[in-house]
Parts: sequence; structure tokens; C-alpha cells
Amino acid sequence: MKRTRTACLTAAVLLLPTAAQAHLVNTGLGPFYDGVSHFVLSPEDLLPVLALALLAGLRGSRTGRLALFALPGAWLIGGLAGLALPAIAQLLPTKTAVLTSITFLALGALVALDARLRPRLVTGIAIALGIIHGYLNGSAMSDGRLGALGLVGIATSIFVAVALAAGLVASLQRPWTRVVVRVAGSWIAAAGLLLLGWTLRPEAPRHQATSSALQQQSATARILHEGG
Amino acid sequence: MRLRVLLLLASLVAAGSTPVLAHEVRPGFLELRETGPETYSFSWKKPTGGEVEIQIAPVIPKDCQLVTPDKQQLTPSAILVAGILTCKGGLAGKTIFIAGLDGTITDVLVRLHHSDGRLESHLLRPDAPSVTLGGVTTLLERALSYVQLGVLHILLGVDHLLFVLGLMLIVADRWMLVKTITAFTVAHSITLAIATLGYASAPLLPLNAAIALSILFLGPEIVRTWRGETSFTIRHPWVVAFAFGLLHGFGFASGLTAMGLPKAEIPLALLLFNVGVEIGQVGFVLLIIQLERSFRTLQVSWPRLVERMPGYAVGTLGAYWTIQRTIMLLAGAR
Repeated sequence: MKRTRTACLTAAVLLLPTAAQAHLVNTGLGPFYDGVSHFVLSPEDLLPVLALALLAGLRGSRTGRLALFALPGAWLIGGLAGLALPAIAQLLPTKTAVLTSITFLALGALVALDARLRPRLVTGIAIALGIIHGYLNGSAMSDGRLGALGLVGIATSIFVAVALAAGLVASLQRPWTRVVVRVAGSWIAAAGLLLLGWTLRPEAPRHQATSSALQQQSATARILHEGG
Repeated sequence: MRLRVLLLLASLVAAGSTPVLAHEVRPGFLELRETGPETYSFSWKKPTGGEVEIQIAPVIPKDCQLVTPDKQQLTPSAILVAGILTCKGGLAGKTIFIAGLDGTITDVLVRLHHSDGRLESHLLRPDAPSVTLGGVTTLLERALSYVQLGVLHILLGVDHLLFVLGLMLIVADRWMLVKTITAFTVAHSITLAIATLGYASAPLLPLNAAIALSILFLGPEIVRTWRGETSFTIRHPWVVAFAFGLLHGFGFASGLTAMGLPKAEIPLALLLFNVGVEIGQVGFVLLIIQLERSFRTLQVSWPRLVERMPGYAVGTLGAYWTIQRTIMLLAGAR
């Protein structure tokens, strides 16, 4: 009876509308839904989460279960840190795009190799991934548009994504199905490599192309002008 | 592990949304009809009468001039503005922007009838509140926009999803789940069709209160299943799903009828909107079932409190919405 009462109270406290919730009506889909859609539509967040879920699933139920709680939890903590201290992101020695592409390149490669990592190590990777990406999310959201409720939306989506992917992979029995998962990992690694190459591409050729296009345009304009 | 244990996430989604957010998916409609050279009849329908006032308005392109009568027409569910729009060089290549749309959870359907019979149709959303006119939308594009509208309507209609979640918490097995969801689908399709075709309608505020009551109704039934008790609802959840599905159908219809669709296109819109609703609903049910399977595979064991949280979410939110909407109903009646 006491337990039920406690549950009722907890649910009531959690679900009672607050000023922040009332604000949702004026912000499009609401920060929670915005957080969900941000995660679903951001490959730089979605792909490493998927890669980690596949990696954890390949290592079995226990690893999958640890990753299921470690990753969203760390993401939320990192996100809250990012909301509170967004300025640290500017002190990072490298571009955030480089950082994110390296994470899903590395995780994709681990999946492709079917790396036999211990559950604790996979959990550690999940926590590191969650803290880094969560922090980057949080610092990007620090303008106040999404806020903590947006982060809860992202963390909930990550929880669902990890549960679905890790649960599915952990249930696979036939050897060829594991090969399919490894192929998926190699695609994620390839995407990371492509993104890394794109991010680190030299800037000079673009300027040359632009200036040559400008020269061509001015030549065309001259011809039109002369023709007219 | 029981299904209800694994529905925690769905309740989190519901809890993460807001009570006042529920059921505010009322689309606007802007219709432009070319009546002469550079001249268009203009008809703007802004939904109203819901729980939250939607502040949206079309922004006319720079080279256009709108002449409207002094009075706006006010219907129970919408404000109508009609007028004549004249645009230098026509509307081709000009951009229509819906101001305020990005701050809502609604959509606006923009339709342009060209004098040569071509029809252009665009669905504007909060994340894409403007469109450049000039192209002609094919039947396929229009069909996709109706399907999309249906999917969005159910996925953003937290109260509908919570009702489905409540049903899933009550049903004993998969076969009963199929029967219950099918009964809900058949029922809401019937009233959606009746309301959209104009044979019957339900006023928005009492309807929303009744929908909230249907969710609240499921709360005690869920508790009965926990206690191992039985009731008519637990034995025959499909009957209850059918009965309340009739109510929810009127709710779905409000998402479609508020648009003021052209009569010739109503059957197509009705069919495809309903298809979209079913896609969203089936997707939600499959997501929950797949989550259950995943949790079982990963051998996740929940504390009893967490296990019961989805049931409490259904009951608590149902009660909150019922009280909130009844107060609004009474306030509106005074």
C-alpha cells in the first residue's frame, strides 16, 4: 500500500504540468519533441549511437544492457554540463565535426572487426561517447531554445535506439546475421572516413574554383554587355 | 517480462510532452484561385476554438495587394478571411510565408488553383513555414501530403497515443491486442469519415474533454489488471476500444475538416489521412512491442515502481486532462 502511494506521488510529481511545459505550446513541437527530432535527423549523433549499440549487441545481453543505461545517462550528464558551461567547447583543440567523425569512424571500425571488448570497456566507451557528444549537444543548445527538456528528448531517443539495435543484435543466432551487422559497422566507418576527409579538406581549391567561376561570370557579362 | 513493464518509454514520451500540447494539431488553410490576369480570390481559414489560440497569418508577397471586406467570418472552429489578391506579374515565383507558424505545432495547407486548371498544393509545417509558388503539384504529391498529415496528427496527438498505450497495458495476449487495435481503428475510421463528409460533427471542447475521460477510464482498469482482478473492460477490451474509438475519430476529423478541403478532393484526403493515421498508430504499437522484445533479450529487470509507471502515467494524465478540459468547457459555456 505504502509502495503504491509512493508510486502515485512520484508519478504525480513527474507528470504535473509546470511553467516550462506550458511554454512548449509556443515552441513548435515542444523542446522534448525537438530533442527527439534533433537526434533522429542528426547523422553525427545517430551514427555513433547506432555503432555503439551494434558493438554492445555483438558482445551479448550484459554488455547491451550496460550500454543501454550508460550511454543515455552519460549523454544527459554531458548535455547538462554543456548547457551550464558552453564556453569550454570553444577551447577544444579541434573542430567538433572532426571529433564526431573520428568517434563514428572508430566505433564503426570496432563493429566491422567484431572487436572482442570486455563489457566494462564497452561501457567506458559508452560513457565517454555520451559525455563528449552530450556536451557538444548541450553547448549548442545553450541559447535556451531547447534546454534541459530537449536533452531529455535526446536521451530518451538514444535509450530507444540502443534498446532496439542492441536488443536486435544480441538476439541474432546465425553466423551470417552477425556478418550483416559487421558490414553495417563498416559502412558507418566509411561514412566517418568520408566526413573526416570532407572536414579536413584543404580550403584553397575551393577559393580557386570560386575565383575561376567569378572570372567566367565576368567574362560572360562582358560578352553580353558587348553584344548588347 | 510483462508488456506493461516495457512500456515505460512510451509513458516517458507522454510525460515529456505537455498536457496542453495534446490535441492542438489543427491545420490552417490558405486557398488562392486565379480569377483573372494577376488577380486571385483569397481565402484564409485560421483554426480556432481549441485549448490554445493559434497565432498564425499569411504574409502576402511584396508586389501583391490584398483587398478584404472589413468583417471576418467567425465559425465555431475557424476564422475565415476572404478577399481579392492582385499581384504584379502573377504569383509565379513569389513566396508565401505563414507568420507565427514556427511557434506552433500545426500545419497549413496552401492551394493555388491556376486559371488553366492546374492545381498547386503545399503543406507548410513549423520547420518549413514558407513556399515559393509556381510549380504544380501532382496527385501523388498531394496524396503524400495527406498521408504525412495523418502520420503527424497521430504522432503529435499525445492523447491518442496514450489511449493506445492504455489499451496495450490491459490486453492479455497478442491476439487480443490485434482485436483491440483493429476495433479502435474501425471505430475511429467510421467517425472520421462521418465527420469529414459533413454528416455529423462534435464541438471541439466537449470532444476533447470526452477523449481525456476515455484515457482516465483506462487508469483504474490497468490497476485492476495489476491486482489480478477482472472486469468487462479487461475481458473485452476491444469493445471499449471500439466505443471510445468513435470519439477519437471525431478528434482525428478535427485535424482534417479544419482545412476546409475542396469537396472534390475530400474522399481522397479522407482515405489518405486515415492511412497516415494508421501508419503512425501501427508504428507506435510495433515500436512498443519491439522494445518489449529488446528488453527481454537484454534481460533488463525493472523495479516495481518503474514497472508500474506507464499505468500511473495513463491514469494521471487522463485525470489531469479531464479536469483541465472540463474547466475550459465550463469557462467556455459561461
